[in-house]
Amino acid sequence: MSKQKVRHIEPPKTNDRADWLKYQAMLRGEFPEEQPKLNVKRFLIISLIVLAVLAAALIFANVRLAQIEEYNLAVAQSGTGEVDTSASTFIVIRVAAIFLMAVYGFYALITLLQPKRRKPNRSFWGDLGIYIMLALVAVAMAFPLVFSIASSLKPLDELFRFPPRVFPQHVTLDNFSDLITTMGQSFVPFLRYLTNTVFITFVGTFGHVVIASMAAFVLAKYDFPGGKTFFSIVVTALMFSGYVTGIPNYVFMSKLGMIDTYWAIILPAFAAPIGLFLMKQTMESLPTALIEAAHIDGAGEFRIFWSIVMPNVKPAWLTIIIFSVQNLWNTPASTVIYSENKKTLVYALQQIQAGGIARTGQAAAVTVIVMLVPITIFILSQSQILETMASSGLKD
Amino acid sequence: MQSTAAGRPKTSYLSMKKDNLRYSWEKAKRMKVCYLFLLPYAILFCAFFILPIVTSIYYSFTYYNILEPPRFIGFQNYINLVLQDEVFLTAVRNTFVIAVITGPVGYILSFLFAWFINELPRWLRTIAVVLFYAPSIAGNAYYIFSIIFRGDAYGYLNSFLMQFGLIDAPILWLLDPKYILPVIIVVILWMSMGTGFLSFVAGLQGVDRSLYEAGYVDGIRNRWQELYYITLPSMKPMLLFGAVMSITSAFNVCDVPRALAGYPSTDYAARTIVTHLFDYGFSRFEMGYASAIATVLFLVMILCNKAIQAMLRRVGT
Repeated sequence: MSKQKVRHIEPPKTNDRADWLKYQAMLRGEFPEEQPKLNVKRFLIISLIVLAVLAAALIFANVRLAQIEEYNLAVAQSGTGEVDTSASTFIVIRVAAIFLMAVYGFYALITLLQPKRRKPNRSFWGDLGIYIMLALVAVAMAFPLVFSIASSLKPLDELFRFPPRVFPQHVTLDNFSDLITTMGQSFVPFLRYLTNTVFITFVGTFGHVVIASMAAFVLAKYDFPGGKTFFSIVVTALMFSGYVTGIPNYVFMSKLGMIDTYWAIILPAFAAPIGLFLMKQTMESLPTALIEAAHIDGAGEFRIFWSIVMPNVKPAWLTIIIFSVQNLWNTPASTVIYSENKKTLVYALQQIQAGGIARTGQAAAVTVIVMLVPITIFILSQSQILETMASSGLKD
Repeated sequence: MQSTAAGRPKTSYLSMKKDNLRYSWEKAKRMKVCYLFLLPYAILFCAFFILPIVTSIYYSFTYYNILEPPRFIGFQNYINLVLQDEVFLTAVRNTFVIAVITGPVGYILSFLFAWFINELPRWLRTIAVVLFYAPSIAGNAYYIFSIIFRGDAYGYLNSFLMQFGLIDAPILWLLDPKYILPVIIVVILWMSMGTGFLSFVAGLQGVDRSLYEAGYVDGIRNRWQELYYITLPSMKPMLLFGAVMSITSAFNVCDVPRALAGYPSTDYAARTIVTHLFDYGFSRFEMGYASAIATVLFLVMILCNKAIQAMLRRVGT
């Protein structure tokens, strides 16, 4: 530990206000003399010029190489004239240009990514290593998703090309139109599956938000016998997956006569523990004084819930709406639905996907359709979701 | 609303307990409206989460095939499970291999990446969060791995390795029992940045800045010390939540092996406890036996959760 450079921050001995301000800034991790301010505009212009020069060199080298190759080919075919041997120079130029571009690009990226003021306890090399690793992992995480999109746009001959390529050369929407044709051949139209899924998602989500918020409100803001016990059971239930409860639920549903109806999917979704959990944790951070004030003004519990608490936890209900939509949209519910005209979209699509190697392209198209909805919803609402998740902690 | 016990006469422990009961009852009567609010959720929750666990335990002691009423057979299901069902033992082994690797590794990676992402500028952080979280919500996007790991020479991994001369004949990634489990583990790790990861990202943004300033003055010198002494202790609630989430996903592996390795897979190499449960519950309709499997799985998960909670209590102290 002693090997590392340690900055000792001593409070100033004088009573000079400027010294004390500087001391405060240093405590916040600002060291003005060590951090010359970066002029972003100028830096960008310089970077642009440097990269443009390198790119020009690269293009020049490539053009020359192509010319030389063409010339050499002509020489070899006609058998007259001398072979141009200057190709190696241009190869060196090309490699050097690519290398310099990569190095400079990375340097520029790191410089731009530097926070305005450097945080204490962060070394430059540590930051660099983390950025490189994050970039590599992000590429690895994104690759399968990009690959599904690329595959869904490939014509048949490219799907089975050897050696295979990741990106399509002739972009086509054939797979999607084939998918619609395949769907059209089953005796239930495509629109029916979509309607089923939308209906289940909409009703399930709406009921879940209302019911779970009501329960979360009293659990978070009132101290009544049994409330804490109930909540701890709900927390344990976060671990129950649909598989563990699947069999008794199936038996129960069949006793109620709800097998092969939408209710077999919707009713359990109403009581999903994650929604109640997130809602309760968020509502706990609302000031109790707000509710007491409403009480004194004579508002009833339901009035307080509906017109005071609910408007104040908008991010939370957006979040549980999104979790619920994701859950219901992706549910195949293959164990409780049998009739063709009640199947969900994902169930129907998975059956197409299971069609084997001949349907590779269509299967990739299915994957793209299914994944687009939840990912788009998440992108649009991620700031609210993160706000809610900030209170998601479990206290023991 | 906050009622306190103040003002009650001091009494002995026993009579106080009795008093407490009566007191709670009085309080419960006064707060009827709370129960009214809780009622709809409580009914549904009990019907679809509590009742199933209870009936599952009950069914596990019976022979039940839905057509006939359940017949009580004692511990026979459990005895068969351990002594006669070799496939179950394979399933248990596979599940534990998957859970032991993907659970802790997925959990630690989720936290580490959340922590790294937290240092990025805002716009880049948003992109990174979307990139890392997307695989876990992308429906059945794991299907694409069946193209990447396809067994013939057109499979992407095979042709890639063959081009570089690392292998000379295509490998049957999804049919050869040697490779099935590692492939599935890779895919599950890819999907492991789920709800827990989001919770970490959000939690890290909420850590009190003044703690870092205080730590800096107190002589914390690098990011790892900062992580251990400041960040982790303030993140404990999120860490607990993330642990619950990762246990759930580590033990309930079902869709991925079914989609990639087939159902049933070669030599049951990709059989997990949940696919076994699925097989007995929804293919053979031996509900009693399947319930015994579900009960075992449930108990293992609860135990794991308790163990992890005990472990996390020590972090940063």
